Parts: sequence; C-alpha cells; structure tokens
Amino acid sequence: MVEFIKVSKSFGAIKALDDVSFKVEDGEFVFIVGPTGSGKTTLLRLLLGEFRPSSGTIMFNNQDITKIKTRDLPKLRKKIGVVFQDFKLLSERTIRENVEIPLAIHSVETNKWEERLKTVLELVGLSDRADLFPSQLSGGEIQRAAIARALIVNPDLIFADEPTGNLDWETAEGIMTIFRKINEQGKTVIISSHHKDLIAKIGKRVLTLKEGKIISDTKMTGKTRKEKQK
Amino acid sequence: MIRLHLTTALRNLRRSPFQALAAISVLTITFFVATILSLIIYSSNQLLNYFATRPQIIAFIKSDATEEEIKSFREKIENDKRIKNLDYVTKEEALEIYKNATSDNPLLAELVDPSIFPASLEFSVTDLEFADEIIKEVKSEKIVETVGFTASIGKEESLGGVVEKLRSITTYIRVGGVISVAVLGLTSFLVLTVVIGMRIAARKEEIEILSLLGATPGFIRLPVMIEAFSYSFLGVLVGWVAAFILILYLTPSIVNYFGDIPVVPRETGNFFALLGIILLLEMVSGFIISFVGGFLAIARAHRARR
Repeated sequence: MVEFIKVSKSFGAIKALDDVSFKVEDGEFVFIVGPTGSGKTTLLRLLLGEFRPSSGTIMFNNQDITKIKTRDLPKLRKKIGVVFQDFKLLSERTIRENVEIPLAIHSVETNKWEERLKTVLELVGLSDRADLFPSQLSGGEIQRAAIARALIVNPDLIFADEPTGNLDWETAEGIMTIFRKINEQGKTVIISSHHKDLIAKIGKRVLTLKEGKIISDTKMTGKTRKEKQK
Repeated sequence: MIRLHLTTALRNLRRSPFQALAAISVLTITFFVATILSLIIYSSNQLLNYFATRPQIIAFIKSDATEEEIKSFREKIENDKRIKNLDYVTKEEALEIYKNATSDNPLLAELVDPSIFPASLEFSVTDLEFADEIIKEVKSEKIVETVGFTASIGKEESLGGVVEKLRSITTYIRVGGVISVAVLGLTSFLVLTVVIGMRIAARKEEIEILSLLGATPGFIRLPVMIEAFSYSFLGVLVGWVAAFILILYLTPSIVNYFGDIPVVPRETGNFFALLGIILLLEMVSGFIISFVGGFLAIARAHRARR
C-alpha cells in the first residue's frame, strides 16, 4: 500500500529524513515512534503531498506520488484519512459539521450523511456531542472527533499523527482501541506516537525513527514493560 | 452539499457584518444610479425620436403653381427615400385648419380671404442629418415660396441647429451616464475584491484544512463565490427597488411636464417591462462583477500562499 524508497527530505541544512525506506502492506497496523524532530510528521506531510522529497520515491497504491501533479493532489488526499497532531478541527463549526466536511468533499449523497455520521460518532463515542463546538469538548473528545472525521469516508489508509499526545493513559487506551477496531475491519493504520507502553501493549509493528533515519523495524510482543518485568 | 456551502457563506456574512454592509452599500449606490441613468438615457432617446418623427418641414407652395406642377413636385418628394410621413395640405384644408384654430373667435375667420392661405407639403426626414440638404433642395424648387420647420429648441435658428442641440444633449447624457456607471462599477468591483480578499485571509486556516482533507480548489472557492454573488444580488436588488420607488413617485410629474412626448412608457405593462429589462441587465452586470472580483481575490490569495 505505502512504500518509501530511499526518501530524503532537507529543509536547508537540516535533514528531516535521511534515506528512509520501508513498506506498509494492505491491512497492516504500524506504529512510527521517535523523539520530537525525528521526522514523523515529515513522513505524513510527504505522504499527503504537502511537499516533495529531496530525493527518493514514495509509492501509494502503486502510484509514485512524488510525481503527482498539483491538480491531482485532492484525489490522493481523499484516499487518506488523517488525524492531525493539532486536530485541525474548524472551531466555528459543530462536531457534526466538522465530521460532515469529508462527505461534502467526496460528494457523498446527502441522504447517506446521517447514517454514516451516526456510525462513526457511535464508534468514537461522541453520539451525544454532535451538536457541540470543539471548544466545548475535552482533549480526548476532540481527538475522537478528529478520528471520526478521518473515518467517515471509509478511506484506504488512516494516518494518525500523535493521536494520544497529551492524553491520560485511560483516554489514550480508548483511542487506540478505536484504531484497533478500524484495523480489524481491514483498514491500513499508521500511527506516529510517543506512548511506548501503549504501543507495547497493542503489540504491532513498530518503526523507530531517530534524526531522520529508521533505526529499527520490529514487531512488538503485546506486553507492556511492567508486564514484562513481572 | 450546497447546504454546507450556503451555511459557510452565511456564516462568513455574519462574521463580519460591517464588511458585508460596505460591499452591499457600494453596490446599492452603483445600481441605484445605473437604474436612474438607464431611464434617463431611454427618455432622452425617446425625446430625440419624438422630434425626429414629427412633421418637421413645411414647403409652402406659390399661389400661381398649377395642379400639374404640384403633382409632379409631390411625386418627386414621395420617391425620395430620405423623406417620410408626407402630407399635402390644400388651400381649402389650410383655411379649415385656420378656422378650427380660431373657432372661439369666428370674426377672425370671416375677415380673411381664403386665397391667402397657401397649399403646402408637410413631411419629416428619416434622419435629421438629411434635414439641411433637403431644405436646400426644396427651396430651389420654382413652385416653392418658402420652407419652414416646426421643431425649435432654445435660440436655434435652423433645423440643423435644433438637431445638433438635441444630439449633443443626448450624447452628453449617454457619455456622462456611461462614465458615472463605469466609475461606480469600478469602485464596486474594487471594494468587492478587497472585502472578499479579507474574507479569504480570515479563512486561511480553514482553507488549509479543507485542502489537506482533499478539497478541490473549486470546492474551496464555492462559498467565497456564493458570498460575492450574495453581495451583488442584494446590491442590485436594493439599488433597483430604491430607484423604482423614486421613478414611480416622479412619473406623474414627468408625464405632466413632457405632455405628448412619451419619455416614459405610457402603458403600465411596457413601463414594468422596461424596468424589468433594466433589473435583468443589472443582475447580469452584478454577476459579472462578483464573479471577476471573487475570482481575482481567490487568485491573489493563492499567489500569496505560494
């Protein structure tokens, strides 16, 4: 589904990504971990075509997206459901209106909106918050609203950038449970995260980035550090 | 989907009501003046047409002219394509006209000798530009005593002068009207472009988010264009309605002042049809102004983002 082949990206003298290569298959669940500034968000932005790599090739659904024309970017972006680190919800629209935006972008018939909205809001547990504004929700609820928006058009790939950042353990676990459910439905999920214990508990493939390079690509056991110590 | 765009456009309108008010006000003034000027231009054309189609030239026939000579002269005039509405007034008819005109004082009619009234040929020209040369030609006819004309404006002494006066008045109205509407139209266009530009700047974050979610430029542009069209629609409508009320109020006085000259349509249906056509043309102009203004503002915002 997604393949980075010797991808490098520099911003002036700073190398955000350095010769990165990895492949994510259809239906996989992959974590990308690494300290701040290691290049996790750059990966996402390259995947969305926000900017082009300095070198290398990025394949998505067998298409080289480094050569994609600007006018074709919307088509690419429609296939990827993104949960942004800073949520990127529109503050002057209700949760319902925010979640509906991708439906309008994808030109989904309006008579199907309510059913889809109900399904995703139930999945993320926000059915009773639909008519509230983002400012009226907690951090965890905003995060879940962003997930609902990413899911509503049933994209091929879900990319979540630090979806559990600044959340308490319980809320973060709830969010990860949602992603697992999505993955179980056959969706490809890529999550960049800091939550090492949570990642260990879920037990999926983990790519570790450091200073723009992949330093490990491992499969976790599904046990937390505390459980291992016992 | 259009519901979402309409909601967005309405939200933007509500978000900065004074910007919206400024744009609508300028457009209202523009289309108010445009409506009034359109009617003035129509009326001046009607005035010109009125004078152009009246029997303007009268050729008085010498009393010693024979029937044959008059007949030949009539045929010559009738076959001239520059001339229309030809009417021959005999001596007897001229006397009748005089009697009718002095019916309130029959003594005046009795005192005059019928033979003093000359026969005459009355006609108008297809274009007033031909008037002077036709008068010269008619004057040179040996059976013609004198040539007169009926239209008279100000101190003009020849028909050419009258024509020139009318033409220059109409031209001034047309040129002045076009310049005024063009200046106001340009101002409206600039204000609309600036207001829409400010709207786009205020929605910068929203536009970025929509773009990242896969929205096409058309999808992002639509609420902005709907907003621009709303300004134009409201501006045209309010300006036209205000002018319409003023015209309705002034029409009786105008009709009274100009008398027989149909400077405004006399029939209600034609009157409303004329104003309806003006409204339609203004809606189209408003649409063009908002389309180009909105499009330019979006293009500028795109360039600024790059």
